[in-house]
Amino acid sequence: MASCPHCGAELETPLGCGACLSPLEVETSVDPFALFGLTPSFSIDGEELRTRHLKYSRWIHPDYFAADPELRALAEINTGLLNGALESLEEPLRRADHLLKVRGGPSESEVKDMPQAFLMEVLEWSEVLDEARAAEAGTPPREAAFKLKPSLDEERTARIQTITGLLEPLPESGSEALTTARRELNAVRYLDRALRELESLRLAEAEAR
Amino acid sequence: MAYSDKVVDHYNNPRNVGSLDKDSENVGTGVVGAPECGDVMKLQIEVEGDTIVDAKFKTFGCGSAIASSSLATEWIKGKKVDEALEITNTEIVEELSLPPVKIHCSVLAEDAIKSAIADYKQKSSDGDEA
Repeated sequence: MASCPHCGAELETPLGCGACLSPLEVETSVDPFALFGLTPSFSIDGEELRTRHLKYSRWIHPDYFAADPELRALAEINTGLLNGALESLEEPLRRADHLLKVRGGPSESEVKDMPQAFLMEVLEWSEVLDEARAAEAGTPPREAAFKLKPSLDEERTARIQTITGLLEPLPESGSEALTTARRELNAVRYLDRALRELESLRLAEAEAR
Repeated sequence: MAYSDKVVDHYNNPRNVGSLDKDSENVGTGVVGAPECGDVMKLQIEVEGDTIVDAKFKTFGCGSAIASSSLATEWIKGKKVDEALEITNTEIVEELSLPPVKIHCSVLAEDAIKSAIADYKQKSSDGDEA
C-alpha cells in the first residue's frame, strides 16, 4: 500500500489522502478497482463500493480547495475519475465489460458467432414486439408481447449466473472463458433491448387506460 | 444523421420482405446479429439448380441494416450461388453511400448472404449422403 507524499499516512485510494485531506496526482489510466482500493473481481459488495465512493468524495471535494486553484483543479479531476470509476463498476454488466477489456478479452463486436438458435429466438421476440408496437392498447398482440416477459427475465437471470461463473475467479488473459463470457454478455444486451421495449409498451398501455 | 436517398428508398419500400419455408430442401436460411447495436437479420434463399430464384429477408434494426439486407436480396436474386458469394460489403456501402458508423450494417448483410448459402449447401450435401 502506497503512502501519502505529504503526511506519510497509508493511502486507501491513490486519489487522495484521508489523513491530511489532500488530493494526489494520479495517472488517468489507473484501474477503477484500484481507485477504490479494491482487488479486481466480478462479485463486489455494492454497499461497500458506495460507502467508499462517498468517503473518498468527501476527502477530495473541490469545494474544500477553493482557496488554492491548483489543488482545486486536481480535486476536480480526481472527483471525475472517482465518479467514472463508480460508473464502470457499480452496474454488473458494465463491470463485466470492464473486466473483459482489462483481461484482453474480445470486444462486443468481435464475438458475432451467436448461436443460430439464440438469434432465431431474438428474431421471434422482435416479431412479437413489432406487432405489439403497431397494435392498439389492450389488443391480443400487446398481450402476446407481455407474455414474453417472464421467460426473458428468467433467461436474463440464468445468463448473468453463467457470466458470474465464468468471471469468478477472474480468468487468465487470453483464456476461452473470456470469449464465452462476452458471448453471454452480448446475449444479455439483446435481452435488455427486448425488456426495455416491453417496458415502454407497458407504460404506453398504462397511459391508454 | 442523414440517410442517403437510396437508403430511404429501401427503408420505405423494402424489397423481398418475408419468409421462405426454412424446412424446404432448396431453401437456405441465415440469421445473423450485430450485438453492438442489437440488430438481427434473417436472409433466406431459394435455389433451383445452381441459381438463386428467390430471396427474402426480415431485419429488425436501423434503416441502414434494413436497406443493406433489402439491397442484398435484390442483388442475389437470379444470381448463381457462387456469384452471390462474391458480393462484398464494400459494394453495399458504395451503392447505399453508407457512412463509416453504418458499415457494420453492410457487413451484417454480407454475413447473412454467406450464412444462408452455407445453410443451403449444408442441406444439399446432407441430402446427397442420405
